[in-house]
Amino acid sequence: MTFPIITALILLPVAGAVAVAVVPKRRHELLLPLAFTMSLLPLAAAGYILWEYETVSGFQFTERVSWYEPWGVAYHVGIDGISLLLVVLTAFLVPISILASANVTKNLRGYLAAMLLLEAGLLGVFVSLDLLLFFVFWEVMLVPMYFLIGVWGGERRVYAAVKFFLYTAIGSALMLAGILALALLAFDQPTFDYTELLGADLTRTAQFWLFGAFAASFAVKVPIFPLHTWLPDAHVEAPTAGSVLLAGVLLKMGVYGFLRFNLTLFPEATVDLVPLLATLAVIGIIYGAVVAIVQPDLKRLVAYSSVSHLGFVVLGIFALTRQGLQGGVIQSVNHGLTTGALFLLVGMVYERRHTRMIADYGGLARVMPIFAGAFLFMAFASIGLPGLNGFIGEFLVLTGSYLSLPAWAVVAAFGVVLAAVYMLWAYERIFTGPVDNPENEKLVDLDLREKLVLAPLAVLIVFLGVYPKPALDRIEPAVTDILTRIEQTTDYDVPDFGGGAPVAGERGE
Amino acid sequence: MDFLAIAPEVALGVGALGVLLVELVWSPRPRWWAVPAAASLAATLLFLTLQWRDVAGAAGDPTLNFSGMLAVDGFAVLGGLLAVLVAGLGLAAAWPLVESLERRGAEFVALVLIAAAGAHLMAAAADLVFVFLSLEVMSISLYVMAGITRRQSADESALKYFLLGSFASAVFLYGVALFFAATGTTSMYEGAAFLSVNFLLEPGILLLGIGLMVVGLGFKVSAAPFHMWAPDVYEGAPGGAVAFIAAVAKLGGFAAMARILAVPVGAYVDDWAPVIGVLAAASMVVGTVLAIAQTDLKRMLAYSSVAHAGYMLAALVAGIDGVDALWFYLATYLFQVIGAFAAASVLSGATGGSTALTDLAGLGSRSPLLAGSIMALMLAMGGIPLTAGFVGKVAVFQAAIDADYLWLVIVGVVSATAGLFFYLRVIVVMYMQAPVRAEAPGTALAPLEPPLPVRFVLLVTVAVTIAFGVFPWALLRAAADALPL
Repeated sequence: MTFPIITALILLPVAGAVAVAVVPKRRHELLLPLAFTMSLLPLAAAGYILWEYETVSGFQFTERVSWYEPWGVAYHVGIDGISLLLVVLTAFLVPISILASANVTKNLRGYLAAMLLLEAGLLGVFVSLDLLLFFVFWEVMLVPMYFLIGVWGGERRVYAAVKFFLYTAIGSALMLAGILALALLAFDQPTFDYTELLGADLTRTAQFWLFGAFAASFAVKVPIFPLHTWLPDAHVEAPTAGSVLLAGVLLKMGVYGFLRFNLTLFPEATVDLVPLLATLAVIGIIYGAVVAIVQPDLKRLVAYSSVSHLGFVVLGIFALTRQGLQGGVIQSVNHGLTTGALFLLVGMVYERRHTRMIADYGGLARVMPIFAGAFLFMAFASIGLPGLNGFIGEFLVLTGSYLSLPAWAVVAAFGVVLAAVYMLWAYERIFTGPVDNPENEKLVDLDLREKLVLAPLAVLIVFLGVYPKPALDRIEPAVTDILTRIEQTTDYDVPDFGGGAPVAGERGE
Repeated sequence: MDFLAIAPEVALGVGALGVLLVELVWSPRPRWWAVPAAASLAATLLFLTLQWRDVAGAAGDPTLNFSGMLAVDGFAVLGGLLAVLVAGLGLAAAWPLVESLERRGAEFVALVLIAAAGAHLMAAAADLVFVFLSLEVMSISLYVMAGITRRQSADESALKYFLLGSFASAVFLYGVALFFAATGTTSMYEGAAFLSVNFLLEPGILLLGIGLMVVGLGFKVSAAPFHMWAPDVYEGAPGGAVAFIAAVAKLGGFAAMARILAVPVGAYVDDWAPVIGVLAAASMVVGTVLAIAQTDLKRMLAYSSVAHAGYMLAALVAGIDGVDALWFYLATYLFQVIGAFAAASVLSGATGGSTALTDLAGLGSRSPLLAGSIMALMLAMGGIPLTAGFVGKVAVFQAAIDADYLWLVIVGVVSATAGLFFYLRVIVVMYMQAPVRAEAPGTALAPLEPPLPVRFVLLVTVAVTIAFGVFPWALLRAAADALPL
């Protein structure tokens, strides 16, 4: 038996949380360095997985231990191209978030422990191949996040935390009913094993209802319009590191859920529901961008930009083309990096000035040139400037959706324009012009720690923007698997270049 | 005749007498009462373990003892083991109350042991009349406990419990009479045999009998719409006593209900399952909705226990196939409810009544242990994974789906989610709100240290809740081994 690297990946953050919990009270100053070091261990494990990962289809590093035969439940984990990047993204963002939390004073121990437990839950979600196990991680990860928002958040933190928890829990409840129904009704013997359930022969009606039950949970998480209203509150009230992980990873859980479960387990329902979900995605793109433009609060602006960006991801997924799916996955990663960075920047300026209102700033480029440069860089990445990562994802999504849903793609493309509007207009109001508020005169520029927090993100953003091939290559086999499965089980043909671009209405049904 | 069958009751009865005698003869300090009580619980545990060795997983009908009154099977032994654990933890949770009662405390200890014997007999009774007797042994002990402080609120609570409880017992007894009218026997196994070979042309009397028995036991487990007493009793009864009262009544009631529904009238599952399904749904919805409106911790827990009765009833719609899910849920819920009421008793005081939710503000810093335990127990009751509450819900919902009660499962998951609202509110108050102090605003409240026995109860209940949440498999197997009936 090979070394159970995935189990280690999940348990390392838990060990970190325990280590943080037992640090003696008088050595309080050790907490942050210790948590940071412990969070590097899962990153190392993720790095090992990335290194050893072979670009082939199917799951790798799988571990399977049967837990309780009568229920058909097992500890079954594994990684494929889709989970690989999300696992690496999670393991990468957590140390950065911890490093960005140096100014947390209130109960730092609990904060760091919650952070590490959250990481364990998030990693567990992306590697579970047993539906009950997946649900356990899915739901458990809510608890540390709830505390991060509710205890260490802003003024309306309790409201935001409860809203976040209840929205997610309602979706999860329906998913749990769906999981149980699927596990019990698919075969004679109950099984929660994802790879076995792929062989289930479900009727169209059953697929429809189960798709709905799963989608209820994932759509809240992504979030898909009109289920997004928890997101601005949660993002704004969460502490900086919480926002980074919320935007960077938690939203991707919904994306991942759609890709992993809805598309493969309920292919017929997926094909049927493409128009609905693509429409909601496009509404989300435009709506999120328009609302972002008018936000007076910078953090809220970034939060609404997430709604818009995630709309692109969903559109890409439900375009059901190779380019669309690849774009959806890579855009998830991109959004995690750029929006994470933007939230970090917002947090840095908030710590200095204790306001997030755009109107309170102006001319900051003069007093904080490095900060201004960093913000502009991240804003460009978020807009999708060629050469930075956002471009790759949006380009693939738009190409992919143009193949199957041209009308939707055309409308979605305006989202890119609107992104430029809200980002650059915000930049203009905050950084250019004269420093007309005397309080802004004495702001200090980024210190070494803050630069170190942002540097790795910037490096990856450029790397993925210039040379995305390694990432795309690793996603490719998993995407092909999904599309092959849809083609085999339904009469849908995946459009591609060269085969004559089909028109939306003519897709085989 | 096998005396091992009755040995647990003998041990508990001797223990109860022992406590009273020790008090009467030596009248020592209260802590010495714990010696005979603990000895009798340990002896009971030993006898039950011996029984379990013989019966676990054994196929076929159970051995009946004492003219068909008492069954010794996995089901009965599991019920007995739980009764002993509930009594032990309930006594520990009530110990501050026992000490404050002075000499009457010995009576309380004796009553706990007697009620535990009653609960075990309810699980073991193979004859409906014997179920009734066991029910009364348990219930009357509980009525006395509810009023043992003789304060006004406790008196009110005890009297309400007594009047409504007696009424429910009478209804149950009427149901037994109708069962006798339909089958000519009060023995469950003879009744089952009779019904398996005879076809009732007009089963109305039998169905009415089943209905009345369900009503009577539904009262004991506080299932809606027979739950009205629970909030008043739980709120008014002395803080230390509620943990045991709440837990043991659920245990006895559900054990008796499961055996009655599964054995004598198991063949009529299609007739009674819809009724149970409606009761389950009503309990979940009523319990959850009313819990949301509560401002008192104990009333909130009381309504939440109504909702939990609903989840357990949901397992019974599957008939005998749902009994193992019921056992798992019940076993783990007992620990949660004891822990939660033990924690509430720290806030209300051992003899006190109500506990406003606002009193919990700032508990996270006042008493990390207490707040942490309450948090774990609330998350478990809310059904968050890695706690036994989640596994229990999965087990119960699986049983209901297998019996084609998908609608009930949907009601269940929705009300479970709505339930999170008030469980989370407790956590919000404890960790996210600063305490408000009327006499000196702005000053921090003094740290709060739970008494030693209560700390023990909290640690055990939380440990059990998490252990069976992470590794539920052993208990699930044990619950399955408790079958067939």
